[in-house]
Amino acid sequence: MMFALLKKRFFPRLGLRVPRKVFAVWSMAFLSVFAEELFAAAIVTPPASGSQVKEARSFRRDVMPVFFRAGCNQGGCHGAARGKDGFMLSLFGYDAPGDYFRLTQEFVGRRINVAAPEQSLLLLKAIGGVPHTGGEVIAKDSPLYQTLLDWISAGAPDDPASVPEPVSIALVPDNMVFDTSRAPIPTKVIAKYTDGSSRDVTALALFSSNNPAAAKVDAGGVVTPSGRGDTSVFARFNRFTVGAEILVLPENKGFVWPNPVSKNAVDRAVYKRLEQLRILPSPLCDDATFVRRVFLDLSGSLPSRFESESFIDDPALDKRTKLIEHLLQSQGFIDMWTNLWAEWVRVKGGGYAPAATDVKAADAYYEWIREQIALNRPWDEFVADQITASGSNLTDGPANLFTMLVHDVKVTPKSLASDFSQLFTGVRIQCAECHNHPFDRWTMNDYYGWVSFFTGIRRKQGVEPREFYVFNDVSAAPAKHLIDERPMPARVLGGESAVPVGEDPRKALAAWLTAKDNPLFARNFANRFWAQLMGRGVVEPVDDLRVSNPPTNGPLLDALAQTFVDSGFNLRAFLKVILESNTYQASAASNPTNVDDTRQFSRASLRRMRAEVLLDSLVKATDGERGFSYFPKGTSAVQQYPRSPGDTTRLTAGDSFLETFGRSARQSVCACDTKTESTLSQTLHLVAGDTVLNQIRAGKVAERLLAKKAGPEEVIGDLFLRALSRRPTPSELSKLGALVAESQGSPVVVYQDIFWSVLNSSEFLFNH
Amino acid sequence: MRKRGFLRFSSLLFFVTVGGACAAEVAPSYEEQIKPIFREHCLKCHGEDEQKADLNLSSFGSLSKGGSGGSAVTPGRASTSLLFKAITAEDDAERMPPRKAPIPAAQINLIKAWIEAGTPERTGGKSLVAARDTAFKPVVAQRSDGLGPIPEQWPLVAAPAVVNPQPVFALAASPTAPIYAVADLNAVRVHGFSGDQLLGVVPFPEGQPNVLRFSQDGSLLLVAGGQPVNYGVAVLVDVRSGKRMASVGDESDAVLAADLSPDQKLVALGGSGKTVKVFSTETGKLLFKLTKHTDWITAVAFSPDGKKLATADRAGGLHLWETGTGQILLTLAEHKGAIRALAWRGDGRLLASAGDDGLLIRWDAVDGWPVSNNGNAHQPKRPAGYYGKLPGGVLSLAFSQKGEMVSTGRDRLVKMWGAEGQEIRSRACEQLPLQCAFSPDGATFVVGDARGGVVVQKVSP
Repeated sequence: MMFALLKKRFFPRLGLRVPRKVFAVWSMAFLSVFAEELFAAAIVTPPASGSQVKEARSFRRDVMPVFFRAGCNQGGCHGAARGKDGFMLSLFGYDAPGDYFRLTQEFVGRRINVAAPEQSLLLLKAIGGVPHTGGEVIAKDSPLYQTLLDWISAGAPDDPASVPEPVSIALVPDNMVFDTSRAPIPTKVIAKYTDGSSRDVTALALFSSNNPAAAKVDAGGVVTPSGRGDTSVFARFNRFTVGAEILVLPENKGFVWPNPVSKNAVDRAVYKRLEQLRILPSPLCDDATFVRRVFLDLSGSLPSRFESESFIDDPALDKRTKLIEHLLQSQGFIDMWTNLWAEWVRVKGGGYAPAATDVKAADAYYEWIREQIALNRPWDEFVADQITASGSNLTDGPANLFTMLVHDVKVTPKSLASDFSQLFTGVRIQCAECHNHPFDRWTMNDYYGWVSFFTGIRRKQGVEPREFYVFNDVSAAPAKHLIDERPMPARVLGGESAVPVGEDPRKALAAWLTAKDNPLFARNFANRFWAQLMGRGVVEPVDDLRVSNPPTNGPLLDALAQTFVDSGFNLRAFLKVILESNTYQASAASNPTNVDDTRQFSRASLRRMRAEVLLDSLVKATDGERGFSYFPKGTSAVQQYPRSPGDTTRLTAGDSFLETFGRSARQSVCACDTKTESTLSQTLHLVAGDTVLNQIRAGKVAERLLAKKAGPEEVIGDLFLRALSRRPTPSELSKLGALVAESQGSPVVVYQDIFWSVLNSSEFLFNH
Repeated sequence: MRKRGFLRFSSLLFFVTVGGACAAEVAPSYEEQIKPIFREHCLKCHGEDEQKADLNLSSFGSLSKGGSGGSAVTPGRASTSLLFKAITAEDDAERMPPRKAPIPAAQINLIKAWIEAGTPERTGGKSLVAARDTAFKPVVAQRSDGLGPIPEQWPLVAAPAVVNPQPVFALAASPTAPIYAVADLNAVRVHGFSGDQLLGVVPFPEGQPNVLRFSQDGSLLLVAGGQPVNYGVAVLVDVRSGKRMASVGDESDAVLAADLSPDQKLVALGGSGKTVKVFSTETGKLLFKLTKHTDWITAVAFSPDGKKLATADRAGGLHLWETGTGQILLTLAEHKGAIRALAWRGDGRLLASAGDDGLLIRWDAVDGWPVSNNGNAHQPKRPAGYYGKLPGGVLSLAFSQKGEMVSTGRDRLVKMWGAEGQEIRSRACEQLPLQCAFSPDGATFVVGDARGGVVVQKVSP
């Protein structure tokens, strides 16, 4: 009897609803009174599950964003590959089922306490209630805490099969200009979901600024200007990143835009931006600077004394255009641009047959590249030929794309995938191997679909040990998704569906990549070529194009890409547009408005010469001679590539001078492998090393002039024209002439010293 | 008996992996199947002409001698055989043959089957695995009448209010009386097997009880747990009176694993500190620490004679210690994931371990040999269209006093295992079954789930 009554009380779902607390007290009261009956009763089933929670919280929609916002699942904390302090969350939440499992079931009862939600370790850690390496990351009175508490109180339920997912986010406003008013501007982040709904997720998003010196953004999304300049502010939520462009204008009230002449679309885009930012462009450089600059950029070496003088003295008005045209058709151009491409695709030749990168294979590739550059093959065809190449590494040059990007006995589809994307699209897709790209739109689905283009790449031993046949096994299985091992058929980046099976997927890859309407391809190469001529990409680094690394001048990059497309991917025609612009031909000298500008191309940038260009220039200026191991006499630095009698895997630049001055070791496709920063060892090498002095002594420039009875003015003038492509100023001439006059005995040593000094000057080392 | 179990395992493996249904009954031999594989991949460097690492695989005799790294194969255990490890290494730099594609899976499976079959030299040849007798030898329990101590007039306490039912984190059955204890929020309930009646509640204000163990004579109940990352303790409760008799440990995190020695003199406990601490129940003093584990301690268990202590961790580490000295006896290496449960068979000859990697292993406690190894013991079936491995694994296991076992796992099944380690039957649960325990007569067992449900079931169908 008593038992039946008790049962009614204990099982609210059977009828009587009793508040839980009351129920507990009740039950204990009964216990004390009716203990004996209780012992006989079967009370095993617990109270009914929580049904009185105010608002249903979804794990994916509500709880995971809390981990994102509070930073729990970032790379330095529990988002690390192995988690932190024994607890792992997927980085920025790419694996919802995995996160749910780890929270609720990996260690049942450890992290979540549904019986006493506030005692959950998750919450205690988050508020710093117990020792936590990350300290207090959520305030106890915050909505974030309440979300977690509500979810746990509801029994920490998993989501039903389909939960609306975000499809995009928007940052409002997406463009802010701070002129006279410096009042902070609040922003909002709006997420759109698959069910068509929208939601303000400002409080769950993360904000950052690319250039806090111009504008800062706080955790609430309020943008505050801090100094003149431009920047982008980003908001991240779920797997999306969006940016807003911020301009903070200088307060120079007397600024008058002089309306300089634009020669073409490049100038128009650059000047529009400069006018907006109240920056005056520098005037055009003089002829001596121009001839040197354009020679170094296009042909990879200094102009000769004769070439400089005749250009400087040429009275023709269109001489710059003529010189550009001349150089674009020169052998030096072919050498230089073959060298650039060979560097990007890591051409190195060795003697270790199993790696398939024999010198003979490297030569075949190098000669093929050279031929294409000489023929001015349209860039889309040039690239497509390599991507789809099959055949022998010794005779089918472009097939070596699949040996040189590897430099190993084994072809790894994943590394080919990341190299292809970095090289041909400028996207670093490899981030998405283990998690969705944290700062771009690429997902793991994109990554594994992309890898599947390369899972069939095979190399079969040919008739001799050095020979390998490259081919694509179309029956190869696609790559498997990291999280659930789902097969991911080949799919282009951002593509809606997989490419057709049965034929070589590389064809579809090449067709998609080089299509005129694929912005990834045109922008990538337009930006890389621009960087080669201007010393800095519109996006920098050039091989890291992503939402969170926007171009410093978006319309400029658009214009460049469009120009490249419109030219039919004609390399020379495209370069000519840049070379003819006033932007390219501007002086490096600054004015008060552009002295701080390093991003908007208002003046020429000072660039140390690339290692191989520097060495060739040294040799050319001194009439010297410099050989390279494993190359015939007379080969210039620009004409050669790293060779070794052994394995190419660890082979670097292959020459000590080139290595010291930062020539790419071709160990990866990263543009950062080419270094033009100055180092102490470079300075020591130039000052005290053997290269400069040996070249001066070997070339005997001063000796030969003296043999022709040349006076100090002529000798010094010659040395200046050789090294700096300009005549000495009267002041330089008189000071250096005095040194010669003071000398005892033969002036050769003094001229050698003068030459040494000129070659050690920044003016020589830099392209300016 | 040992041999029978073995053959069954190896032939099953042969059937599954090689797919040659007709060859299923015969284990591969060195001369017939294995030497050709060695010839194809290994003999160039480990043959008659050259013996890198002093290893010569070209004859059965030279193979048995091993190389400079020790014996190449352990008959009966591929997982610990140097040769097998070398050809299956994940790291390209470590795998044999060097700088080449791995040996094809079919051949690897043949080698595995051959090692597991005891590396016979010729077809039908003898297995080199020593025969062993691990049959259950019944020991007389202190009480077999089922009239051991039960709660009598426990003080009544108010259990704290719960927002949701507390998952059954811990569950234990008395070996001498038909009662079991269930962890609740800050309390432990004791029930009777028959009729499920609640016999009493003992508070555990220190926090969440993570471990419950009855002493061998059923007179004491060990309750261990605490507050995560804050406090941990183990207490001993007198089953008759419900009074606290002792309390050991003052840990900085909740105790995750604990056990009481049969003579009631020692309590071993561990947790996130990666150290097993052994305390005296008489003085409360720490006697010694076992510091060999590299991850959180997840289970500890004293052998029925009290002479050995088994300890397990979250990384799959499993060690056997000598209780008296704290010296290590054996390291039982096989688990690849967190070990969730340890249980001794009543005669102390076998130790069972199981965990997240889905392995349920019964070890010979004398020499550490895995007498039976059930892989994927609780692996859920993959629904159609679902890719990847569903989280599986064993959550709990218990021995009956007859040497049978029951286990629960992430596939939401309760499984019963026979005296020879074979699966007998399974039953589905509605909720995730976290804990299980046998009644002293071995006729029923009790299962506790993640929604706080506790169900007593009969063993026989």
